[in-house]
Amino acid sequence: MKKERSRKFRALQVLRILSQAGFFGLFLALFIGAHYTGQDYISSTVQRFFHFDPLLALVTLIAARLVYASFVFALVTVIATVVLGRVFCGWVCPLGAVHQFSSFAFKKTRFLRPPKEERVSLAWKYYILIIVLVGALLGLDLAGYLDPFSFLTRSFALSIFPGLAYALAGLKAGFYALGLISAGRSISQLLENWTLNATFIQGFAVGFLFLAAVALNAWKERFWCRYLCPTGAFLGLLSRWNVLKLRIDDGKCIKCGLCTQHCETQANPYPVEKWRSGECVYCETCAAICPTAAIGFPLKAAPEKLANVSNVDLARRKVILTALLGLAAVPFFRLTPSRKRASLKLIRPPGSLPEDKFLAKCVKCGQCMRACPTNGLQPALSEAGPEGIYTPMLVPKIGYCEYYCSLCTQVCPTGAIQKQTIEAKNKIKIGSAWVNKNRCLPYTLGKPCIVCEEHCPVSPKAIKFVEVEAKLPDGKVVVQKAPVIDLELCTGCGICENKCPVVDDPAIYVTSVGETRSEKNRLLLQVIGESGEPGK
Amino acid sequence: MKRRNFLRDLAVGGTVLPWGARVFGGPAVAPAQTPQLAVVEGESPYLITKEAVAALGGMKRFIARGDKVIIKPNIGWDRVPEMAACTNPEVVKALVELVRDAGARSVTVIDNTTNEAKRCYVRSGILDAARAAGASVPFADESRVKRVALKGEWLKEWDILMDVLEADKIINVPIAKHHSLCRLTMGMKNWLGAIGGARNQLHQKLDQAMVDLTAFFKPALTVLDAYRILVRNGPQGGRVSDTKLVKTVVAGTDPVAVDAMGATFFEIRPQELLYLKLAQERGLGKFELEKVRVEKRKI
Repeated sequence: MKKERSRKFRALQVLRILSQAGFFGLFLALFIGAHYTGQDYISSTVQRFFHFDPLLALVTLIAARLVYASFVFALVTVIATVVLGRVFCGWVCPLGAVHQFSSFAFKKTRFLRPPKEERVSLAWKYYILIIVLVGALLGLDLAGYLDPFSFLTRSFALSIFPGLAYALAGLKAGFYALGLISAGRSISQLLENWTLNATFIQGFAVGFLFLAAVALNAWKERFWCRYLCPTGAFLGLLSRWNVLKLRIDDGKCIKCGLCTQHCETQANPYPVEKWRSGECVYCETCAAICPTAAIGFPLKAAPEKLANVSNVDLARRKVILTALLGLAAVPFFRLTPSRKRASLKLIRPPGSLPEDKFLAKCVKCGQCMRACPTNGLQPALSEAGPEGIYTPMLVPKIGYCEYYCSLCTQVCPTGAIQKQTIEAKNKIKIGSAWVNKNRCLPYTLGKPCIVCEEHCPVSPKAIKFVEVEAKLPDGKVVVQKAPVIDLELCTGCGICENKCPVVDDPAIYVTSVGETRSEKNRLLLQVIGESGEPGK
Repeated sequence: MKRRNFLRDLAVGGTVLPWGARVFGGPAVAPAQTPQLAVVEGESPYLITKEAVAALGGMKRFIARGDKVIIKPNIGWDRVPEMAACTNPEVVKALVELVRDAGARSVTVIDNTTNEAKRCYVRSGILDAARAAGASVPFADESRVKRVALKGEWLKEWDILMDVLEADKIINVPIAKHHSLCRLTMGMKNWLGAIGGARNQLHQKLDQAMVDLTAFFKPALTVLDAYRILVRNGPQGGRVSDTKLVKTVVAGTDPVAVDAMGATFFEIRPQELLYLKLAQERGLGKFELEKVRVEKRKI
């Protein structure tokens, strides 16, 4: 018997690696592109990746009961999967690339020694998928938590790039200390030019989860793709009719079991009748490492039996029980006070839909937080209830909403934040500013300040001043200009809170009340005729 | 300060000071009739800037060959030039060209902005204009500052941008604007963009802070952009109707006199501005314009 590996499949394997690297590079380029480049409007569609994601498309369609035109691209992925199987997972998905590469690294370092035969159930991701879909039926959008694009973008936006920015700032300080001024300066310019935000409330948790997801590859190859990914599960269900079917040449096969041992996704190429076409991502590893080139993927149009698609023991009873459990869990997400009454700190980005619709569409990808030039958009933790974890909110103490910027509205992949022109955005109120007279310098210390008034971006200004008397500790009375707010003009941008010199607990602060998007959380009633314009 | 250091500084200062300018700097001494202030009116902000510098005896009077020059405009806000919140880019461009023509080794245009830096640099038009004219236009790095003893009346010490400290010559290029606290922001207030630290605390005694900073920064030249001034809702405005076309540039070596002249465009008498009074008392310049040699031109 001649022992020779298949050249064709080794070449295909290299091609697959190039494809993964290319798509990962594309992902990075688009991700980095989501910032203020010097143009008010981002020309390339940096969120396009998301539109190829059929799970996000489906869940948005079901949960928000809305057809979002951009998701038409997801049909490309669906058709490709129906015809060719899960090539998307193996060749395109950037998170898949991360897992594949880290699995490879763990294997090379012997952290990971794949067993001859893997017995861990592959069913979990299908259960997750079922729960996500059942939730969507009731308007609950859970897809974003484990969807690969959302997970990857969020991890990069809230932890990886902030970590990078932190490291670069350290490097910069090092260069300065060594007197390498121009090297230090190039880093400082880069940090500003690319808007590398470095402060995120949940940066640690998000980063930790990402590293944990990567570290799990030391236990099982492509752990995420095998056991967790609901998008992969969805594509697996679609790959029943695909035309690329595994075949093993019995005459050549020496039954060494290498193919099954090193299968990235536990698709079990040997024996061939146990091959799970729904798990195969066409990474070509089995065909490439087969010592006798016995494995191939010839075209064959016959559909697979559903049982063979996954061979994951998805019995009808289990499916129904999972669905019921998912159904029972949905109300738990809704037992939150934020459903009953607006949360004061939940200042949504301008152009956000009303809260219930927003939650049904937001996929928690963090792209808006990546794009925000001031770092003010932060992931919610408890402010929006359990279904709102990682959804964006403005934290003015960290960063304010830049008046002439509408980037967050432009990069949202699902339209949870509706695209706004700068002019339209300037008319949107995201909250209202309030003065805490107990902490405000003119009111309480009798000192001049009105930094807030200086920074108020609207014209005429929403912060005016009045002269107030302040009593000093020695009993003297001083008269000082102090801020008062014209809520008709205030947009809630939060620059006043951001720039207030009372840094720990600003003496002027923004809460969500008065936001344009909400009927319940509005403040100033526009009664007809009240403003002296009857009939208007 | 230790006695030994003091004596050393005294000795060094004593030898350098009387001849310093001629020995090290070499700017030609201006003839007596050269004006202290040049006020030039005209249609083009670019041309009136060049004319104003020419009226003062040309840029060579202020910049020596090989100088490292900082041009400090007001780029504080994310506003386009028609809003008159930032210095007119054409004024900056004219100055960059003049400084380069005078043989400067490098020209850097910089400001520590209030809104997001890149947006301010881009939308003010200054990034493109100054770059095209050959300046480097870096963003201010607030981590690269030096705590400097200002020895001011109020500000004893503060963080100053290293980029500014390292320059041989500084040209201050403010724009004339309304400001609610100090009434008008022009050249003296513009120094708040050359420093780091918690600048929002300076409002507690803003006039004094401006004087202390003005005493520290010694610009070779101040060029006040009053082409389009901001008359209300300062210091950033937001509507064209907040602005007024004056089509004038004021250049001078006396930072107090430049601001005093600027005040007249708002129909405010210089003596009404506390910081000008304080600055004159401190000996930083004159706000009494009748005591200043002014040359007015119209082109």
